[in-house]
Amino acid sequence: MTRIARAVRNLFRGKDDDRDLDRELRAYLAFAIDEHMRRGLTREAAERAARIEFGGIDQVKESVRAVRAGVSLETMWRDLIYAARSLRKNPAFALAAITIIGLGIGVNTAIFSVLNGLMFRELPVPEASRVVSLTQAVRGQARGVHGMGSFFSYAEYEAYRDRNQTLSGLLAYSPLVEASLAGNEPRQLVGTIATCNYFELLGVRQALGRGFAPSECATAGSAAVIVIGNGLWRNAFGSDPAIVGRTISVNRTPFVVIGVAPPGFSGTEPVAADFWAPVTMQTVLERGQNLLANPGMSWLAVLGRLKPDATLARASADLRLIAAQIDRLESGRRTALFVRGATIMPQIEERTFVFDIGGIVLGAVGLVLLVACANVANLLLARAAGRRREIAIRLAIGASRWRLVRQMLTESLALAAIGGCIGSTIAIVGTAFVVRQIVSHMPPGFPSLIIPVGSDIRVLAFAMALTVVTGLAFGLVPALRASRAELTAAMKDEGADRSDRTRPGGLLRHGLLAAQMAGSMVLLLAAGLLTRGLARSQTIDPGFATANVSVATFDLEAAGYDQARADTFRRLLVERVAALPGVDAVAQARVTPLSGSHVQTVFYGQDDRLIRVELNSITPAFFSMLGIPIVAGRAFSDEECSADRSVVVVSESAARGLWPGRNPVGQRLREDAGKRSIDFEVVGVAKDAQVSRLSKSDSMYLYFPASPRQWRRLALMVHASTDYASASNDIRSAFRAIDPELPVALAKLSDNFEVWRMPSRIAAMTSAVLGALAMVLAAIGMYGVVAYALSRRVREIGIRIALGADRQDVIRLMLRQVMRPVGIGAAIGMLIGAAVSRLLGDLLYGVSPYDPVSFVAVPIFLAAVALAAAYAPARRATRIDPMLALRHD
Amino acid sequence: MADLLQGTLDLLILRTLTLEPQHGWGIARRIHQLTQGTFDVKPGSMFPALKRLEEQGWIASEWGESENKRQAKFYRLTKPGRRHIETEVSNWKRVSTAIDRAIEATS
Repeated sequence: MTRIARAVRNLFRGKDDDRDLDRELRAYLAFAIDEHMRRGLTREAAERAARIEFGGIDQVKESVRAVRAGVSLETMWRDLIYAARSLRKNPAFALAAITIIGLGIGVNTAIFSVLNGLMFRELPVPEASRVVSLTQAVRGQARGVHGMGSFFSYAEYEAYRDRNQTLSGLLAYSPLVEASLAGNEPRQLVGTIATCNYFELLGVRQALGRGFAPSECATAGSAAVIVIGNGLWRNAFGSDPAIVGRTISVNRTPFVVIGVAPPGFSGTEPVAADFWAPVTMQTVLERGQNLLANPGMSWLAVLGRLKPDATLARASADLRLIAAQIDRLESGRRTALFVRGATIMPQIEERTFVFDIGGIVLGAVGLVLLVACANVANLLLARAAGRRREIAIRLAIGASRWRLVRQMLTESLALAAIGGCIGSTIAIVGTAFVVRQIVSHMPPGFPSLIIPVGSDIRVLAFAMALTVVTGLAFGLVPALRASRAELTAAMKDEGADRSDRTRPGGLLRHGLLAAQMAGSMVLLLAAGLLTRGLARSQTIDPGFATANVSVATFDLEAAGYDQARADTFRRLLVERVAALPGVDAVAQARVTPLSGSHVQTVFYGQDDRLIRVELNSITPAFFSMLGIPIVAGRAFSDEECSADRSVVVVSESAARGLWPGRNPVGQRLREDAGKRSIDFEVVGVAKDAQVSRLSKSDSMYLYFPASPRQWRRLALMVHASTDYASASNDIRSAFRAIDPELPVALAKLSDNFEVWRMPSRIAAMTSAVLGALAMVLAAIGMYGVVAYALSRRVREIGIRIALGADRQDVIRLMLRQVMRPVGIGAAIGMLIGAAVSRLLGDLLYGVSPYDPVSFVAVPIFLAAVALAAAYAPARRATRIDPMLALRHD
Repeated sequence: MADLLQGTLDLLILRTLTLEPQHGWGIARRIHQLTQGTFDVKPGSMFPALKRLEEQGWIASEWGESENKRQAKFYRLTKPGRRHIETEVSNWKRVSTAIDRAIEATS
């Protein structure tokens, strides 16, 4: 072992070696001088004579160095040739190993390339490494949030922009501004409103026209100019070369197009921006709220560019000083400021989300790679055992153990390199293709996503590091073991007769088999649980009816309405839609059940404690259309809606939570609305239904009358006896007839279930694919181990059969031996599976994380697969001819 | 011819080291004595040869002190080296007898 350690150290030598050589040569000279002096020469004469004899010291050093370099290069080359030859001699083994490794490394590289695109990749702008993003976590201040909590207010942005010493500029923008573009076909757009240095600071040059001028951000609401995205320019304006200077109507406000963004730039967010407008146009685009003037509102993402002499650390320290200054203005406020290299997802909430999901997925694919490594290690062990005689001979004729280990490692690294190259190439190309397919096949009306998954230096480094680690992981142990052959035994091939289990190599092989089994078990259990969860989510009774209900959602505020005009619009709309053929009920709601949007407000609960309760504002038809019964009291009336009366219908759970043991009807519920609080009278109790979250029916929920004050964003729910296609067409034309420019999104109510099923569908599919992969690998491993054990014991089996053993007994003997490690591995896998299944939490829809069906069915299935994989080669034992077997070498 | 010479030198070095671990100068002196002055190995061929043998794993080196209290790098045979020299010596004997016979026969 020490020799191997030294040899490993030798890999990293260089300078030390040269110094060593120098010392050695000087010692040689000293001996020579001694010799000459002993013969009677003076010191000077002896030195001169020794040097002449020696020849040029530098030439000697050079030739030693040449030997060193030549030997290692030559050895490496010879090892490679040798590896190539021995792999070619055994193409089945090489193909199996390369495929297994390629799969293992490929899935890891694919997942990493997605994570890399989301988390680490720089923005697609020039000198992106100098662009930093600012995020903050503020405590001790009541803040409003429009977008994400780690965003900044405009006043905070100004403070960082004006006081910093380390940035050449700081920009702010609000992403995901929804707007409608007027035209023959009104379009719903998602845009960005940004400070006027946005394009200049990022270094983005427009394909046509120009970016913003500083003066356009000088006063609020004054500069109605707009830069449109390249995609919008192509799709909505037919790549009109004369677009610059034209006026377009966005949210009913005329904007002058000043530029078209270049094709490669669609913003600095995962959702592509259709347009960019000055941040000062916020009040025009988003009527009804003035975010610019609110110093306690999180609504702006902030990016800066480092000055040429600044570093990230210095900028971070500099900006934190400003954060401390801001904190001092408000007692109790504490800001944690984070400065990082800018990526497409810099916000704290986004990063936590991706890290959580990414961690689980990386864990799963890591498990697949582990199974793959265990598998190839087993193949190598079996192969090395077959090469024992060759190895023993090489050791006998004087090859050092390190040379053999090194040569076998070269072989496994070559295998890993080939597998890794093929696997990660397919992974990188394949992931980019799949992501492109997903993004381009999003349902219409879905904003286009940017996920930059292509390869970059990080992905390549990851794939390479993984390849080397993999090669060492599956190669080292078999190499060390094989090179420790006992010479005489191996040469005589005595080992073949000993039972496989008693040999330490057999123990190792069985351990690796158990590990493969455990890994596949964990993945398949996860797949089983998720599939059960998915099935449950499909058959679950949400407590309300969705059949034949179409939903039309529209945003009157974005379309430039005010309350009075909205009121007229709604009245006309309901009249027209109710008169459509086949329509028998029309209801209005603020959010539709299970839509994934939640509205909450703070109320005084028991003992005047403040509690947050989820609510909806609806017209009474909502209850009858969805079949949610009123179990006590009454529903409110249409008149109470239009008169804005302070009444409320509560869910059974809310009644239980707010007034336990009392009759809820007639109770008063007080909303905490800042200075003035409003009292609502409870007029009825509705049966619990899963209107907020799928599989959760016991959450408190309040139904308020749809008052005229609720006019901004609405959903119209229509129950029609006609099919969805014609109903949705009719509804769309009803909208068009009243306001041809209002964008409206139509869907089936039952589509809302998809929002909930999508994550578990994706998770179930991923874990099923990975689990199947691991299982196939483990089955191949089983087959290999049994086949190998059989080949080693042909003679023993022959003797047994010759002595009259039943062939079935022989099969059983073979199976018993491998089923034991399989059983142990399966048990370990089930324990790990039970320990981690709680991570799946919400995706199970009420299926227990220890669901007996999964925990029984999956192990039985896996055991059956393992048995089949072991049985196939074991059956060959029955065909052994005792006479041939006894002569078997 | 160069190959044969290199092989010869390697064999001589290994043979020298079967007696006891030795440093570069000591090996050169010992070869000089053993071959009765026929071979005088110069540092220019000695050190590359030592390096080559070390890389092949047949010898290993260690710093130590010589009998006259000088620091020197001592080379010793490794286990594979010992096995290697056995096969090499028998090869050599076979080759040299064969060549002897050939020469005898033609002269």
